[in-house]
Amino acid sequence: MSTIAETARLGQARRRASIDGWRWGGRIFLIFMLLYTALPMIWMLLTSIKSGFAAMQFPPQWWPDQPTLASYQKLLDPQNSVGQDFLRFFWNSLFVSTATTILSVIVAVPAAYAFSRFTFPGRNFLFFAVLLRNMFPAVIFLVPLFILMRAIGLVNTHGSLILTYLTFGLPLAIWLLKGFYDNIPVQLEQAARIDGATRFQAFVLIVMPLSAPGIIATAIYSFIGAWNEYIYAYTFLSKNEQLTLPVGIQRFFSENTTDFPGLMAASFMMSVPVVVLFLVLQRYFVRALTEGAVKH
Amino acid sequence: MTIVAGKTGARRRLRPLPGKIWEHRADYAYVLPAIAVMLIVIAYPIYYTIELSFFNTPPGLQLRDKIFVGFGNYTAILTSPVFWKVTSNTLIWTLASTFISFVLGFACALALHREFVGRGVLRAILIIPWVISAVAASYIWKWIYHSDFGIIGAVLVGLGLADRPPNFIDSVSTVLPSLIVVNIWREFPFAMIMMMAGLQTVPEQLLRAAKVDGANAWQRFWHVTFPHLRNVSTVTILLLAVANFNSFIIPWIMTGGGPSNASHIWITHIYELAFGRQRWGVASAYSVLLFLILMTLGYFYVRALSGNERKDAGA
Amino acid sequence: MAHVVLKDLVKTYGGFKAVNEVSLTVDDGEFVALVGPSGCGKTTTLNLIAGLIPITSGDILIGDRVVNDLDPKDRDIAMVFQNYALYPQKSVYMNLAFPLQMRKLPKDEIDRKVREAARVLDMTQLLERKPRELSGGQQQRVALGRALVRDPAVFLMDEPLSNLDAKLRVQMRSEIKRFHQDLEATIVYVTHDQLEAVTMADRMAVMNGGYLQQYDSPAQVFAHPANMFVASFVGSPAMSLIPLEASTANGATALTSAEGWSLALSELNARKVQGATTRKVVLGARHSTIKLHKSAVPGAIPAKAYTVEPTGDITFVQAFLSGAIINISVSPTIAVAPDEQIWLEFDQERIHLFDGETEMALEAN
Repeated sequence: MSTIAETARLGQARRRASIDGWRWGGRIFLIFMLLYTALPMIWMLLTSIKSGFAAMQFPPQWWPDQPTLASYQKLLDPQNSVGQDFLRFFWNSLFVSTATTILSVIVAVPAAYAFSRFTFPGRNFLFFAVLLRNMFPAVIFLVPLFILMRAIGLVNTHGSLILTYLTFGLPLAIWLLKGFYDNIPVQLEQAARIDGATRFQAFVLIVMPLSAPGIIATAIYSFIGAWNEYIYAYTFLSKNEQLTLPVGIQRFFSENTTDFPGLMAASFMMSVPVVVLFLVLQRYFVRALTEGAVKH
Repeated sequence: MTIVAGKTGARRRLRPLPGKIWEHRADYAYVLPAIAVMLIVIAYPIYYTIELSFFNTPPGLQLRDKIFVGFGNYTAILTSPVFWKVTSNTLIWTLASTFISFVLGFACALALHREFVGRGVLRAILIIPWVISAVAASYIWKWIYHSDFGIIGAVLVGLGLADRPPNFIDSVSTVLPSLIVVNIWREFPFAMIMMMAGLQTVPEQLLRAAKVDGANAWQRFWHVTFPHLRNVSTVTILLLAVANFNSFIIPWIMTGGGPSNASHIWITHIYELAFGRQRWGVASAYSVLLFLILMTLGYFYVRALSGNERKDAGA
Repeated sequence: MAHVVLKDLVKTYGGFKAVNEVSLTVDDGEFVALVGPSGCGKTTTLNLIAGLIPITSGDILIGDRVVNDLDPKDRDIAMVFQNYALYPQKSVYMNLAFPLQMRKLPKDEIDRKVREAARVLDMTQLLERKPRELSGGQQQRVALGRALVRDPAVFLMDEPLSNLDAKLRVQMRSEIKRFHQDLEATIVYVTHDQLEAVTMADRMAVMNGGYLQQYDSPAQVFAHPANMFVASFVGSPAMSLIPLEASTANGATALTSAEGWSLALSELNARKVQGATTRKVVLGARHSTIKLHKSAVPGAIPAKAYTVEPTGDITFVQAFLSGAIINISVSPTIAVAPDEQIWLEFDQERIHLFDGETEMALEAN
């Protein structure tokens, strides 16, 4: 009798131990990943508040002896030529990214809706053709697009970037949104049409509000993609006053190779808008991926 | 594409196509803007790249003066030693980055699946590297790897593991692994998000049934969770593989492909051939080869995606 | 209110005919149920009437107007959907107001009509809620309300009760019937549940494979099923159908089974059998018309009980006979055990006879 109880207790203990083992393993792993992820970013912040002299020491100052915001002041000062450039790059990036985002949504929403709702000849072919765009590296398109942009007079304009960025964002945007529309019962639109709405009204009044999370996710994705893009901006733009942030920063610091605090401060400021945007809206993004991409 | 045709073709072919297209003319209006943009920015460049790959172009952008060389560019590529060096770099880069990113991301997703205090914050922090620009990431890590003032070198010296800071990205033997670490840093969050989304769709009932049937945590994962995630995993791995194959920014900014081609991968090499040395024909031929490889990957991508579609239609 | 006429209505998808030359008239104020198994074309027919999908050929008239090419919004119809199709982002009030807003009614009139509909359906206290905060029955009622506010010419209902639990379904069934009587509304009601059709409809249109099988009052359909499909589809438990062979000897007609038993036919039934195209005849009998004996009786056929299901006031017995499943209902006072030997007696007045080839009901000429 007692041996049976003992064995049962032992078994339970062993099971608990194995569950605890998994859980502890998971925690240690997460701590390791947290360090891997966060330490480089923390080092970027710490470096950015050092003076150029303090940054170039061996062994390094783990914590800055005399923290200073000088690098940030320099970047944000419109009187200073560095600040002038940085702010201009910042506005250029903001303009290009916002325009790309708005256009992406305008183009992707009807396309995704059509792919979800209508069965027209070639629907599947076109859908997968759009998705295949994801497969091709920027470099393949770089030369011909450069020549194309030159032919239609868009080289050295932000238009060339917006048009190009549109095509990166579109495949994923259409894919995500299609998943959303697939999940909205077609009866809702039918009800609206019977209630007196035209097809277009049914779409705008009933379907659009329901797909808002998908549209938000699509917008974030387009914005971040455009904000961070480097290779086309690097190739299509040559005039200093038109550069976007990634290229502008790279140009600037290839001339000032030792100003690491400045470089870290610029990297940080370049990251702030997209990180904030993403953190605020990330639940839409994860939800959109779950409902749009993974579930179906 | 064969799958796609097979899926709907049987029912559709019974009607003359032009009539069908005319009947659905209004539907095309919705997709027209997307298709138009895609055509301009994809179809034309692909055509142009293929054409250019058969020509030799003198330096400068006077492309009117190109000279037809047939498959000359292709034979030049396949016989050059740089090609094989760059290809092996690309393979190591793509396979290592994809595999490790996926495993780390999947493990994070699993570890974050259970509710605990601070989970949301932790998840947000882990995603940040994926959001910030690759240019910023490259500079941050370039500074961390710095041969004189880099923090890793300082830590190694401080712990007595090295006499002086190692030259991570200036040494032929360590440069590629060092860059892969940066790439994984930026990429595992994507795998994590995808797999987190996938985990949410694993039916709770199935896991409970397995528990009742006496499966332990590992068996439940292996027999229920993992098979359920097979499709998401395939799509994630393919997307990672394609993204890695197409990487440019990290090697370009951190090393420019050096030292002595040790960190050159296909894309950086093509870029340098085209915009650095103005050898457009050779660069185009490289692009066409790349294109063929990607089409093969793309075939599996479409298959994985349409696998999803079919399951959906069945449900 | 208005009548609805379908004339030779056809809908094809590629080569597949979903609806095949369906013609029927729904009179003004009539409640008609379209009933059939899933995939029979009933929902497609309803969607054709609504204008949600284009027709391939034929005509649809609502009132005296041909509506073939009109948009749904111009057909003066209201529809209740199986999943209710309530707009999830709108409150109950806004759901009810939506059809009126689309018709650009003045605000105060919309408010008056919405409140009136809410009062009729007893859901004034729910007006500010969102659909997801309502129970299934309440959602159903809102869906009805949204159809009601418009005062349309025709109500179309697509399996409106199939998402409700059994108890609520019975309750809503009588509510919809009441609603029909009070409003004298023309209703086309789609269901796969023959019981709903029988209990609610003035006339029922039984469909199968895209074809209209029979269109008549439930009593007529029940008493005189046009063919074997209708016979087995309408009524629960289903009518028992036994394939037999007709033979005539010495001027008397009998149905004989492969096992050797035979059933002598009355003079009327014999005349029906003579009209058959073959000698193959299917005998049909409803559960309540078969008498069960526990000992041999002249004219009764021996069979073996298979399952016994007491339901309280009635006990259902299933038996096997010549390869067919026979449903019989008996009084609970008769105790039958599975595998027990029983004898079945068919009522000559109330059996149905079908042509074994065409599956059509046999009638005496």
